[in-house]
Amino acid sequence: MGREVAESCLDGVVMEMVSAYCSRFYAAKPELAAGRIEAIGFQVGHQLSERYTMDRPRFSDHLEAIKFICKDFWSELFKKQIDNLKTNHRGTFVLQDNHFPWLTRVSLDPSMESTDATESDSASLGDTAAQTTTMLLYFPCGIIRGALTNLGITCAVSADMSNLPACSFVVRIKT
Amino acid sequence: MASTACFVIVSKNDIPIYDAEVGSAPKKEDQAYQHQFILHAALDVVQDLAWTTNAMSLKSVDRFNELVVSVYVTAGHTRFMLLHDTRTEDGIKSFFQEVHELYIKIFLNPLYLPGSRITSSHFDTKVRALARKYL
Repeated sequence: MGREVAESCLDGVVMEMVSAYCSRFYAAKPELAAGRIEAIGFQVGHQLSERYTMDRPRFSDHLEAIKFICKDFWSELFKKQIDNLKTNHRGTFVLQDNHFPWLTRVSLDPSMESTDATESDSASLGDTAAQTTTMLLYFPCGIIRGALTNLGITCAVSADMSNLPACSFVVRIKT
Repeated sequence: MASTACFVIVSKNDIPIYDAEVGSAPKKEDQAYQHQFILHAALDVVQDLAWTTNAMSLKSVDRFNELVVSVYVTAGHTRFMLLHDTRTEDGIKSFFQEVHELYIKIFLNPLYLPGSRITSSHFDTKVRALARKYL
């Protein structure tokens, strides 16, 4: 389980997958594309959480599992931890990441192809760029949902991207 | 060294996804059924015990005549259960850890549906080799 791959390759694969599902497979039906991308993320998260929980003791409650996602799981995936975790103690958690790695390469110029990688700037988003970013964020939502489901927590995850490159993931645990 | 041992992997939905007789004693048909019955009966005890501790390895949870059931639970609540006689106590933890690694490799296969039976003969061979080595 020890081969390595360049990080830029992984960024490229994720961007290409999102763009393929949006513009080629389900061009006229963005809801179906979103569902597929989230399902792919679900399976990835499901399998990765099994792998990363191998050497550590099991979790006694939901908060422990969410903290594992914020610290160990996120650092294995993105080499950084979640910057801020908020909860209302009634089953809703907000995971805020101030510098989400996959979003730092999203092109914000609506006239360019969305698969090009350029520097991001915090100007206002064009429509297509906003939609592509939303689609891209379904993938990490799926990853979080898959990881939590494997740990026994059924939940719904949504992403909020009011200011890039910071984004927050809202986890609602179904009781 | 003749020993009886029966190894079962039960998923979190309580469906057995893998079972094997890994002892080195000569196998008798009715004994195989009895071993599986004992292991499934021990599942209730495992369920109670799993909530009391954070550890993965629950060691021995149940006895039947001279046979002992040892259990190892993963974070995804998949249970590895081993029925063995009291002569083969040592090395069981290492056996479970190695099987856990093999299980993760199967799990990472994108074509494997989590919760379905493990049908890979490669996995089967490896598990039996580990059983000969540690039990």
